[in-house]
Amino acid sequence: MTQLVYDSASPQHPLLDPFRNMWNKRGLIGLLVARDLTLRYKRSVLGVWWTILNPLLTTLIYWLVFQNIFGRQGEDGVPFVVYLLSGTLFVSTFFSQGVLACGTSLMGGRNILSKVRVPGEVFAVTASVAAAVNFAIGLVILAGIQLLQGPGIPWTIVLVPIPLLAMLMFVTGVGMLIASAAIHFYDVIDFVRVLLQLAVWMVPTFYPLDIIPDSLLPFIKINPLFSYLRVFRGFMYEGTFAPTWNFAYMGVSAVVALLLGVWVFSRSWRQAAVKM
Amino acid sequence: MSEPAILVDHLSLAYRIAKDRTGSMKEFAINLLKRQVKFEHLWALDDVSFEVAQGEVFAIVGPNGAGKSSLLKILAGVLPPTDGRVVVRGLLSPLIELSGGMNPEMTGRENIVLFGTLLGREPQVMRERVQPIAEWAELTDFLDHPVRNYSTGMASRLAFAIATDVKPEILIVDEVLSVGDEKFRRKSTKRIEQLIEEGATVVLVSHNLGTVTSMADRVMWLERGRIKMIGDPKEVVDAYRASV
Repeated sequence: MTQLVYDSASPQHPLLDPFRNMWNKRGLIGLLVARDLTLRYKRSVLGVWWTILNPLLTTLIYWLVFQNIFGRQGEDGVPFVVYLLSGTLFVSTFFSQGVLACGTSLMGGRNILSKVRVPGEVFAVTASVAAAVNFAIGLVILAGIQLLQGPGIPWTIVLVPIPLLAMLMFVTGVGMLIASAAIHFYDVIDFVRVLLQLAVWMVPTFYPLDIIPDSLLPFIKINPLFSYLRVFRGFMYEGTFAPTWNFAYMGVSAVVALLLGVWVFSRSWRQAAVKM
Repeated sequence: MSEPAILVDHLSLAYRIAKDRTGSMKEFAINLLKRQVKFEHLWALDDVSFEVAQGEVFAIVGPNGAGKSSLLKILAGVLPPTDGRVVVRGLLSPLIELSGGMNPEMTGRENIVLFGTLLGREPQVMRERVQPIAEWAELTDFLDHPVRNYSTGMASRLAFAIATDVKPEILIVDEVLSVGDEKFRRKSTKRIEQLIEEGATVVLVSHNLGTVTSMADRVMWLERGRIKMIGDPKEVVDAYRASV
């Protein structure tokens, strides 16, 4: 007897089925992530090395501008470049680029989606996992700089996977919400680009928190990214645990974003094929 | 009596088109609030019902825009039905717009693994199938070249080889028999015939009425999204011919 059955009328659970799909298709997701990371630079001479060079060069520019022109120095024995790179890697490379890639993933995968039956979740997860891998590659550079310039590597670095995983959930969830909206209006992407910039500037990636006047502090702290960044920096180079509320805010926002994103996405991604 | 391989039950598909094509989101939102958005429904398929038995070769004919390709895409699980139900039993391989399914930037080898995995196999299995697939497609020398350097015929050959290598139980064929040169056309036809002999169910769309009459067990004539006629190949094809 044949075992594989596709029934268009079989009820889909808006939460359980997407997660089951992601798990069943993990081999495919792995292939697509590898493709994502290598394909971008396929025509270039340096190839995959660009994934490392890119954040490195960006940091170099920031460092030139802020340390040498604005004369910014690091604090408490932490070189400014460590503060800067940890911020840009986590917030720009991981969050911002990840959300954008995830939001446009259905468009990017339409060539496949219009020919083969593949759950749309696969493309969204591929995008956010690829962003996480880019971030992880950047972490190796960051760790190297910490060894060379100080403050070294604390034992808490083994806990970095916690904020990494939370961020992966957050990026996937937010990205899926955007992807769902972008099916109906592509303008959403341009809108999101601007919003992301605002969100990124509203967290202290390259400026220290103490230059923010007290009256504006709540606006910084209400941004979930602030909590993620604080937990991450604590583990990565400070060797400290961020305040409990940061952990709580991080955990809750990650779970809520992921569940909401998956739920909305699972109800809407099929329409993408009709629109295309 | 075994269950049909494909069951299509009161199937309808509508492409929803916003009537006054509002460009921006803001305009659309305002119109939506005012309940002024009017949608026009373009019914690509309208209340279509039929069954395909296991091992049957089922052909669909009809003029351009009759809904043939949309129907194939619904069977392939790519498009969701607007109304009605589709049940497909068995591992399905879609031979639709073949050469376009290959990623031009990736090598032949990478495409074999990725496309095979997309069709439902595991990556490890596909890595072992690279050699036999390339041999059958006669592309062994080009395995590590990016597909963008292939000719259209070569890319189609590769895609066809991958899609038929997974031993599909159901084949969805969209004009694929006209792909490639004469030699490959014969080779691919032979492979499909072999799959049919092994018990595969085939749904095929073709404008080549000669192929349809010789290959199909039954033919369905679609016109403007509705079934005009369904039954014996010769009868349906003759009636369809008389109408054009």
